[in-house]
Order: sequence, then structure tokens, then C-alpha cells
Amino acid sequence: MRGIYKVYPPEVVALEDVIWELRKGEIHSIVGENGAGKSTLMKILAGLIKPSAGSMYVKGEEVSFSAPHQAIRKGIGMVHQEFMLIPSFRIYENVILGSEKAVTNNVGFINSVKARNMVKEVAERYGFQIDVDAVTSEVSVAMQQKVEILKQLYRDVDILIMDEPTAVLTPQETEELFERLRELNRRGKTIVFISHKLDEVLQISDRITVLRKGRKIGTVDNDGITKRELANMMVGRDVVFTVSKSSSSAGKRVLSVRELTVRRDNSIELGPLSFDVREGEVVGVAGIEGNGQFELVEALIGTLPVCGGKIYIDEVEITHMSTRQRRRYMGFVSQDRKYTGLALQSTIMKNMIMTHHISRAFAKMGFAINWGKVGEFSRTLINSYAVICRGTNEPVSTLSGGNQQKVVVAREFSLDVPFLLLDQPTRGLDVGTIEFIHRKILQMRANGMAILLISAELDELFTLSDRLLVMRSGKIVAELLPNLTTKEDVGAYMLGVGGHE
Amino acid sequence: MLGPICWVSVVMSRFNKFFVGGIGIAVGLLVSVFVIKIQGNSPAEVYRVLFDYSIASSFSWISTLDNTTPLILTGLSAAIAWRAGAINLGQPGQFLMGAIVAALLGIYLPFPGWISIPVILTASALGGALWSGFAALMRQRYGMDEFVSTLMLNFIAEYSTTYLVTYPFLDPKAYVASTVAIKKAFTLSTVNQFNEGFYVAVAVAVVSWWVVEKWRIGYEWEMMGLNLRFARVGGCKVSDNYMWVMLYSGALSGLAGGLLILGGTQHRFMKGIGGNFGWDGVMLAMIGNNDVSMTALFALFFGALKSGGIGMEFETGVPSEFIMVMEAVIVVSVVATRSVIEFYGGRVKAFLKARKVVKR
Amino acid sequence: MDFVVALLRASINSATPILLAALGGAFTYYANVFNIAMEGMMLTGAYFGVIGSYFFGSWEVGILFALVSSLLLSLLFSLFAIYLRSDEFVTGIAINMLALGGTTYLLRSTFHVKGAFISPKIIGIPSWNFGFLHDVPILGSILGGYPFLVYVSFLLAVVVDIVVFRSRFGLRLRAAGEEPTATRSLGINPTTVRLVSALLSGVFCGLAGAFLSLGYVNLFSENMSNGRGWIALAIIILVRARPLGILILSLLFGFFEALGIVLQNSPIPPQFTSMVPYVATLFALYVYARRKRKVSITAEVGDD
Repeated sequence: MRGIYKVYPPEVVALEDVIWELRKGEIHSIVGENGAGKSTLMKILAGLIKPSAGSMYVKGEEVSFSAPHQAIRKGIGMVHQEFMLIPSFRIYENVILGSEKAVTNNVGFINSVKARNMVKEVAERYGFQIDVDAVTSEVSVAMQQKVEILKQLYRDVDILIMDEPTAVLTPQETEELFERLRELNRRGKTIVFISHKLDEVLQISDRITVLRKGRKIGTVDNDGITKRELANMMVGRDVVFTVSKSSSSAGKRVLSVRELTVRRDNSIELGPLSFDVREGEVVGVAGIEGNGQFELVEALIGTLPVCGGKIYIDEVEITHMSTRQRRRYMGFVSQDRKYTGLALQSTIMKNMIMTHHISRAFAKMGFAINWGKVGEFSRTLINSYAVICRGTNEPVSTLSGGNQQKVVVAREFSLDVPFLLLDQPTRGLDVGTIEFIHRKILQMRANGMAILLISAELDELFTLSDRLLVMRSGKIVAELLPNLTTKEDVGAYMLGVGGHE
Repeated sequence: MLGPICWVSVVMSRFNKFFVGGIGIAVGLLVSVFVIKIQGNSPAEVYRVLFDYSIASSFSWISTLDNTTPLILTGLSAAIAWRAGAINLGQPGQFLMGAIVAALLGIYLPFPGWISIPVILTASALGGALWSGFAALMRQRYGMDEFVSTLMLNFIAEYSTTYLVTYPFLDPKAYVASTVAIKKAFTLSTVNQFNEGFYVAVAVAVVSWWVVEKWRIGYEWEMMGLNLRFARVGGCKVSDNYMWVMLYSGALSGLAGGLLILGGTQHRFMKGIGGNFGWDGVMLAMIGNNDVSMTALFALFFGALKSGGIGMEFETGVPSEFIMVMEAVIVVSVVATRSVIEFYGGRVKAFLKARKVVKR
Repeated sequence: MDFVVALLRASINSATPILLAALGGAFTYYANVFNIAMEGMMLTGAYFGVIGSYFFGSWEVGILFALVSSLLLSLLFSLFAIYLRSDEFVTGIAINMLALGGTTYLLRSTFHVKGAFISPKIIGIPSWNFGFLHDVPILGSILGGYPFLVYVSFLLAVVVDIVVFRSRFGLRLRAAGEEPTATRSLGINPTTVRLVSALLSGVFCGLAGAFLSLGYVNLFSENMSNGRGWIALAIIILVRARPLGILILSLLFGFFEALGIVLQNSPIPPQFTSMVPYVATLFALYVYARRKRKVSITAEVGDD
């Protein structure tokens, strides 16, 4: 690929003058932080996106793809980060979708028996154990990923692109995936592996390309290069892996959870759960997604009914309070800013005053809002949180992901409350913003805020927490002190292995 | 060549609100010219008459404002509800409910004029609110989509009120099924040549603007309409707000109905009254993109069109129903223009930026 | 007994336009297109069906005109809602307004009447009388002698079911509606699929409209569709567009409408009998909503 550019509406430059080559039979990784352009570049290769400028050559011949099936015809297939599967379809239907020619009769009807057999045959050929009749939404995530790979194999691709495949897998499933990939590689398939997890990349690649902010920084052979070197290439400066934290001086109990139990469809998803968070303390919660964290968050903010137990903030029982009432006591940074944290089409200012608009500080004549004060307030926050924008009347959608999250954080951190609930606050952000937010969290902690931090990044939890809780199957299985434990230990508790049940 | 296109698209995205409405109307009028020509009439003639009968003389202004009065209210009814994410399509039914309440109270209320008029108007607003509130309740209690229920209630309101004026409250001397006229003392007259009802409508519109743009509940409505979960998690009283907006919306349409009975020319509830005011309100909200001031402004435009339409039929023989066609074409054009600008505007910007970057 | 037979016959006649519209709407449902324009398309089809039949003296031309007009309207809808990505809801309602205003105006300007146009020159759709049914006692009189579109529509219910669930088009249709991004990644353009679904819906609505004005009555009246498009939409939502469900519910609504008409001869005021289908829809919505509630996951906590 030569001189590749990609610009998105309205003015975002995703890729700038990228030159890249792939050798036959290798496993090549592309690394970079979130937003560096890795997915974009590969999507261009796979025919999903058209470059704004530049050219591509496959096996010496210049190609230009305007649709994925053209890329597939040239032997290039991609397994995406978000699965491209139809949940209600059976597995074999998902595999044949789009390439039904082989199993369709002249009138346009599909021979389902033939389809099943053909898919089964391909699966067995490459050593995949898949029940082709199962309904896609009912199988595990790791299995769904195998279906995605199978889709590409069914179409006889030579180059297989995997976009952040391990983000959704447990450590064992990751190992199994690597085995599969190595096996495919042995059979002559070329593999491109996109990731931001440097450990894994070093484990599996032959060569590694680093992208940063849409530009290619370099391509290196995987022999002896270190994680630190790669990280520096990714970020462009010496990366500080931790932010320094002052020693803990936790005060009185602020959040108190007692025997909290949440049910869903007749099964207990959460609890009984009991824990405290104190003034000036950060309590981290680790755990594989789906082990009760969602229910915990929803129960705390009041969108999921609690069927047992109590929640107290500052000695006030909030267990059955409405969200509006309990917002007087807590700030909340949700895990997805687009659907819960912001109203994307609205202005920065209007997003900034959500929840603040209830307080009397912004009231005018009882029912109205003092928009003058609101304007001042949002401008002040924009400055103190270094949000890059053209003004508070700009729609929030024009901001980058990092700046959007800063708006959310600015809003929630400036609430006059004793407790903050943070759910994956730095997911998908660039390192600069992550550092900024981490610093702000520690600042809040120093000011006496009680903080509950739920995160999938162990590094983040270790950096920020005073105490670390591990959740599994809806219960707390461990309470650890970060400076006295290791990440491996925490991982073991998360999985419930080796004496850590 | 690319230059002017870029300039135009940049300008257009800045003045979006006005441009879209304006362009939509321009396109609508243009298409109408075309249709008029096909039918064998003279577009120039038609437009001259429309102008004459809508805003050329003070007499025509009265007629225009008469028409604008209910339109402002039904338009706001739709706009305000939709803005908050409550799909109220029941303006026709709520309008009728307000009208029947006004007509019946107007016949039987024993109080003097200066008490009765406010009472009647409030009652019609309540009547409309009841009708929309019923749909809202069904949504809150039983999860029944208000989109379908308000539509069904329109038909039920139409048939119920027709029944009432055909049987129990029928005026035996009337040619068409209708009630007796309301007491003279209750009719609204003109102040400064403008129908009193118009003043009421404008006052209500101004208050609505204030509530929607400046009040806390207006803010919460806006956020609910944009992202319900965001509003809920942020602490907005989503259920209460929903009920309030539906009630307010219904009240507006009901008031429109009441004003039509007390003001206007007939002062009685006749079968088929209210013509298309309900659905016109829906159209107005779409053209105005649920914005209070835009909707009210376009209500004036539609009011003018309607007045002009009657005259158009007198003088040129083009049936007044043609106005309905014009209105619909305008709505479609506005919607299309809005989408085209959004769709292509972003792409043009990206294209320009790419050229800038590549040149580097 | 005669009464029951008459009622059942009226039910089937009433059910047919709703059935046709809903079947067409099923395609848009599976493609995830919110098709509110069915009401307008049906009305347009009804009007142009009469135009074709009246001016050309044949019902075939009438049906042709109905189909073409409805198709054009669906094309307009698709252009805005699917291609230009404007709000489907707003576009649909705008199209309905256009259809209502347009047909009312055209009725007036073409035939110079207000309200309704009736003429013996409007040729209706011929009925099919099956010889052998004459001898079958009760069922014969219920099943025979309808305008042939009725039989076609029942057949179509089966056809639509097969096409949606067993053909390649149906597979792609459902995929495009459920996950357009995934579908696009496989080389299928979901926009094209949605366009086709809208056009199909236009064709079906055209047929429905033609039946309204050329079926068991031969006339056109203002706003003839009178909410049937909405009821069809409600049915689709209620049964999640499964053709068998559509068939059953359409018959049910046909029955209610027929009941309303038949009761007009009774002392009950006609307005109440006319209300029956709409009240029935409300009730159906209630039942549906209650059933859905039982499987809802998140609920409000202590609403203030």
C-alpha cells in the first residue's frame, strides 16, 4: 500500500501518507494506540473503505476495491473487532450469507441441507469444532469469532486480517486462538494481526508495524525488540507507565453496600454483595465483563431494581430512590459515552449541565434555568479540563473521543457530591487523555471524594486504587491491596483458577 | 468551479434553520407552478390571487390570522411533544375534543361573558389534555406505544363527536349535523381589527417558547428527545416529564379547538369542523423541525396559504384542495432539503479537507 | 344462518386490503424500514385504480394504474427516507399528507365532485365463482364468489412466507434489516435491499388500494383508506411480520370492521359501529404490550 490517505467528514484525518507492505506467509502485526488508524488502514485493504488518496498492489498487480467482495476475490478477508454476524441466524446461514451461489437453486431458493454440509466440510478441513446449526446469538463470544474466521475460510482467502481479536477473549481462549492462527499460518495463510496489546503482539508476530496518529512510524522484525521500545514508537515520547499516587488517607465511610442482590429472569445476577468506599479512597473493581459489574452499576444509579440488600451514601439509604433523587449524592461516568454519557447532537454547554441543572445554583425564578451562569460554568470547565473545541455552542459530536470523555468527566467531577462511580472511564482513549483523567481522579481522591472504579485495564486499577475488589459470578471473590499483590494474582481470581476460587 | 459550491455549502450549514425552511418552500412553490400549468391555469394569476386574499388587504389579514390561530397551536402541540420524544399524532382528535367541550359549555354555561370565556377556553384545553393524557397513561401503565394509540384515538374522537352532534345535541334547524350556536356573549370579537383568538394563540406561543427554551423542564424535554437514557441517568424525571409534555401538547390542540368555536365564524360545532387543522399542525412541526419559533412562523405562512386558497377558488376556479397539495409538497421538499444538506454537506467538507492534507 | 354467512363474507372482503398492505409491509419490517406511508400508498392506489378503470373501461388497466401510482409513491419515499437518509417517520407522514391532499384535490379537479365519485363506468374486479362450490352447503357460500384478488391475497400470504424464510432474497433481506453493517461487510448493499423492500410494499399497497376502490364496491371517496394503513402497521408490529400471523389478524380486523357495518342496521348509532376497528386495534395493542412487559429487563426504580 502506497501513499494512503483517509479523511472522514467533517475534517478528521485518519491516515496520512502510509506506506506498508505485507510478505507472503508471515504473521504481521500492526500496533498503535486507539485512534492511530490501524483498523482504518486494514479496512481499506479489505475493501470496506475507499482511500481518499493512494494506491494498493496485491501480488504486483494494482488493485482498487470499492466493495469487500472484490477484496475477497483477491484473497483478502477480514475478521472485525465488532462481529459482523446476524444474531438470529444459524451459524451456517451466517457463513453463507453473501456467497450463497453454491447452495442456491435457479429460482432463488436456498438448499439448507447442502449449505449445512458445505460449511461443515470447511470447518473440519481446518480443524474447527463448530455446530453449524446453532443459533449465533446463543453461542459464546469465542465461538462467534471462530464463525467469523470460518466465513473467510469458506471464501478461500489467503490473507486473513484479525482486528483486535483478543479484546473479547479470556486468556485461555486467546491461547487457543493463537494456536488456530499458527495452524492456519502453517498451511500457507498470511495473517495480519491488529492490536494494542504489546505482550500478545510480541508473542505471535514475525514483523510489527507501528502507527501513530495516522502515520506509519516504522516496521520492525520481531527479534529482541522490547515492549518499552514499541510503546515509545507508539506514543512518541518516553511513556510513563504509572502516575504517581500519594499515600492513602481514607476517612469515614461514604458508600456502603450491604447484601445487595439483583435478579434478572429468575436468576441472581449479582450478590449478595457487601463493601464500603471511604472518603478520599479509590476502590477498584476488577473482573471479566459479564460477571455482575453491569448489574452493580445499574443498581447503584437506579435503573435496575434491587431485590435484596441496601445501599447507603453518607448514611442515607438510597436503595429505592429514583435516579433523580440519588444524583444528589453521586456522580457517574458511564462506560459508553455515546449512548449514556452524552447527547451527541446537542451542544457542549447543554451536555455540560446535565444533572447540574437540577440544583438551585442554576435556577432562575424557580422553574427556569439561568443560562448566563450555565455559559460561564461550561466555559470554565472547558478551560480547566483542556477540552479542545471551538466554543461551548458547538455540537459535542464534533469533538474527538478523548475530548468528549473530558466533557463527561468535567461534568461529573464538578458535581457537589460525596461519591463518584466510574465505569471504564478511559476505554478507547489515547494515552494523553488517559493520563489527564487519571490525574484528575487522583485529584478528586486527594480532595476527599469516595470513588468506585470499575475497569478492565489492570494497569489502570493498579495505578489508581487503594483497594482492589475482584468480582466473579456476581460476588466479590477477593479484596486485595495493589501494592501487595500481582496482576497475575488478580487475573487468577478473575478466572477462578489455581487455588483462587 | 468548486469554489462557489464549497462556499454555498458552508454558508448553508451555518444558516441551516432558515435556509432549509426557505428552500423547501421555494421548491414547493416551484413545483406548484408546474402543477398549475399542467392543469391549464395560469400560475401568475393563481399566485396573485393567493397574495390578494391572504395579506394584501386588512380584510384578508383577518382571515389569515383567523386561520393562523389554530395552526400555531396545533403546530406547537406536535412540535413540543415530538421534541421531547413523545410521538403525539393525536392533534386532530385533541382538537375535536377541545371544540366539543367549548361548543357544549358555550350553550349551557350560565355565567356572564367575562367569566365564561376564560372558563371555556381552559376547559377546552383540559379536554384536549384529557385526550392526549389518556394515550400517555396507556403508555405509562401498559407500555402501549402512543404513536398508534393517538392515531386510533383520532378516529374515535371523530366518531364520538359526530355522534354527539347528530343525536343528543343536534340543532333541529340545522342543515348539517351541528349544535346550536353558543351564546352571543361568549363569542370572541376583534380587537384592533385582529381576532382576539389570535392574541391568545400568540400569547400561548410566547409562553411555550419561554418554557421550552428556558425552563428546566424544557431542557429535560430536549434531552429526553435526543437521548432518553442520557436524560434518565442524568437525573431527569423522565416519566413525569413525559406525562407533562403529552398533557401540554394535548392542551394546546384542545385550546385550538376551543378558539375555533369561540372565534371564527360559525360559533357552533358542526360535523367535519376543523378541517385539516390537526394534520396541518403535524406538517408544520415537520417543516419547523420541532422548533417553537420556526413552527409558529410557518404557521403564519400556512394561514396565509389557506386564506389565499379560498379566494383562489373564487377567482381562478382552482379548487381550494390544491392548497393541501401545496402544503404537502412543501413538507416533502423541506424534509428532502434538510437531508440533502446533511448528507452532502459533510461529504463536501471531508473532500475539501482531504485535498488540503494531500497537498501538504 | 344467512346473517352469519353475510358477516363472514363481509369479513373476508374487509380483511383483504389490510392483508395485502400488511404483507407488503412485512418486507419493509424485515428490512428495518419504518413504513408509515402505507396509508398514503393505499389511498393513491385506490384513486388511480378508479382513474384507470373509468377512462379505459377495464379493471386490468385500473389495477395497472393503481400499481404504478403506488410504486411511484414508494419510490419517492425510498428516495428520501432510504437514499437521502432523512427521517423515515417524517417522510412517511409527509407522503401520506401528499397522498391525501393530492387525491382529494384530483377527485375534485378531475371529476368535479366533492366527497365521492360513483359511476357505472367504473369497471370492478371480476369475481371468481367456483362451480363445485355451489353444491357445498355452507362453506360454499362463504368461500366462493369473491373478486379474484381475494384469492390472490391469501395465496400471497403463503408465498411471502416462503420467500422471506427460504429464499436468498429473504436471507439477505433479514440480514440487511437486522445488521446492516455486517451485511455490507459481506458485499451486500443494505440500501438496495431496503429500497427493494419499499418498492415491494408499494406494489402490495397498490393492490390493496385497487381492491378498495374496484373490489366489492366500485367508487372512490375522500380519504378512502381511512386508517387501514395504520391498522396494517399495527398488525405487522403485533405479530412481528410473520405472514401467518398477518393473515389471522387481518381476518380478525376484517371481522370487526364487518361487524361494525352489519350493526349499522341495528339501533346502535352508526358512529359507534364505525369505531369498532379502531377500538379493536387499541385493544390488540394493549394485549401485545402486556405480553411484551413480561420479558422486559430494565425497569424504573422508585419513579418520582
